[in-house]
Amino acid sequence: MRKTLTVLFATTTLTAAIGLPAWSAARVPHDGALPRPFAAIFEDGQTALPLVLVDGHDDDDHGHRKASRSDHDDDDDDDCDDDDDDDCGGSAGNAAPAGTVAPPQNGLFGTGAPPQVKVN
Amino acid sequence: MKSTFAMLALTTALTLPGIATARPVTMTTTLTNYGGDGAYLALYVTDPQGAYAGSLWMAGGKSKYYKHLTDWYRFTGGNTSQINGITGASVGAGRTLEITLDLADALFDAGYTLHIDAAVEDMRDSPNEVAVPLTTQGAGTPVKGRRYVADFSYGM
Repeated sequence: MRKTLTVLFATTTLTAAIGLPAWSAARVPHDGALPRPFAAIFEDGQTALPLVLVDGHDDDDHGHRKASRSDHDDDDDDDCDDDDDDDCGGSAGNAAPAGTVAPPQNGLFGTGAPPQVKVN
Repeated sequence: MKSTFAMLALTTALTLPGIATARPVTMTTTLTNYGGDGAYLALYVTDPQGAYAGSLWMAGGKSKYYKHLTDWYRFTGGNTSQINGITGASVGAGRTLEITLDLADALFDAGYTLHIDAAVEDMRDSPNEVAVPLTTQGAGTPVKGRRYVADFSYGM
């Protein structure tokens, strides 16, 4: 019985002594740190992976643009092209289209029918 | 019963001036075949002293182009509150824009002038493309534009 326990203890110790360094070597951190024999126990290899952010915004020397809210790149060929099809989303700064609000109170308009428009 | 009639008389008295001081006016603008993109048009009115009185219509929805409607822009600074509720799409070459507005009678035969500024992408801006005095006699008479407007008329 004592002999069995001794053998069990010896094999467990041997396994730990050989196995742990080998396991740790397979989980070397990606930050260039030297491998440590018991890293597998003391640190989580997954957290050592660098964080990669995927973004459509090329931020070349525009670090000051903190408030940018779109995948709109900063070069001259912007995605908001200058044609008349309003495909750019966002109507900030544009006037309210006819029919959505009343005409301005500039004294030129009566209070009757709303504007009607037709293009032939 | 007497109070009902009194109320009716009062509401009629208040409503009638509103009806009597405005009328529907149809403005028809036909563009030439200038061979470019849709034209931005600003229709606005100046008073007898030549000061800006207000806008009647803006054809073209993107405010970034309004600076090309140079006279209108000079008067308004491009302030879009001037054209909220009276803005529509730009008008293609050769097309006819027909707008019907409920306009104050006071605009007619009182020295007011209707102006149209026009602009087309990659083409020359055309401020004061049309300038026509607003008179009851001038209704239905076509006026020729300078560059992009083939003719303009208003009818009452």
